[in-house]
Amino acid sequence: MEQKDDIYYIEKVKEGQTNYFSYIVEKYQDIVFSIALKVLRNREDAEEMAQESFIKAYKSLHTFKGNAKFSTWLYRITYNSCISEVRKKKIHFASTDEIEIKDETEELNLDGIPEENRARVIKEALSKLPEEEYTLVILYYFEEQSIEEISKVTKLSESNTKVKLYRARKKLYSILNEMMKDELYTIL
Amino acid sequence: MNELEDIKLKALLQQMKLDSPEPNFSVRVMNKIFEENSVLERIKSEKVLGRGFWIILILFVILLAAIFIIYNSGAQPESQLQTLLPEVNSGVTEGYKSIFNKMGTVPLSIAGILIASSVLLFIDRFISSNTKIFA
Repeated sequence: MEQKDDIYYIEKVKEGQTNYFSYIVEKYQDIVFSIALKVLRNREDAEEMAQESFIKAYKSLHTFKGNAKFSTWLYRITYNSCISEVRKKKIHFASTDEIEIKDETEELNLDGIPEENRARVIKEALSKLPEEEYTLVILYYFEEQSIEEISKVTKLSESNTKVKLYRARKKLYSILNEMMKDELYTIL
Repeated sequence: MNELEDIKLKALLQQMKLDSPEPNFSVRVMNKIFEENSVLERIKSEKVLGRGFWIILILFVILLAAIFIIYNSGAQPESQLQTLLPEVNSGVTEGYKSIFNKMGTVPLSIAGILIASSVLLFIDRFISSNTKIFA
């Protein structure tokens, strides 16, 4: 249904009714901006890159054939643009090994996080993930993209995407565990 | 990994509010798109050959017509040249004549048209880039 909606608006834009593109911008601006912000780590740069990604998508809309989901295509443009910008500016990527993965993370109990704090805690934990893993988690959980779609966005092989997603998930659990311990310590 | 926890994590993440750009972000994106569209439209609608080109072309045609009339009126260009510039070395004019005869008239005409077109385009571009001077 979602894809059908996108196709409808895309066709309208292709027919010359540019106004319909604002629907696409409104719908995807948060996720595009979030990916850009995570990679570029600066709100101004992220906004500029998000804007550029939408303009790029608009300009290349005639090349979008609808074989893949529009969102996958848009995220690929965003992710590639951000990575190119990072390479251009030579921004240092956080190493994925900086966060220690512990065995006990497998036993994480999310119910242990007070409900009113869950969204904040999860957001905070996500922000501690390196950019690539953040993108994988967001695309997989938040956007419900398949492994195949994610591999298209990140240009990783499907098996590599699976492995990295597994590691990202474990890392996120690890961070959450640490945060929960800290919260508990603060309460006590 | 605990599948149930994974499902819970998924549900939690989907409830999470992502970072948002500035409130007028989509307006700015659309404005930029419209701006780029109008620039593109302007470029598309811009004439390849400007007014200067057509003025020069008309002058060129008038010049050709004048030469044609002079030819048909019986006055020979060679004799005209000799009348106007008596000091021109006759040897040089003879040399030119023989070269033109050897080359033939067709390639010469094509070359003439190409050179003239190139000159006209160059002048047109020059006038277009200096519109303030020629306005």
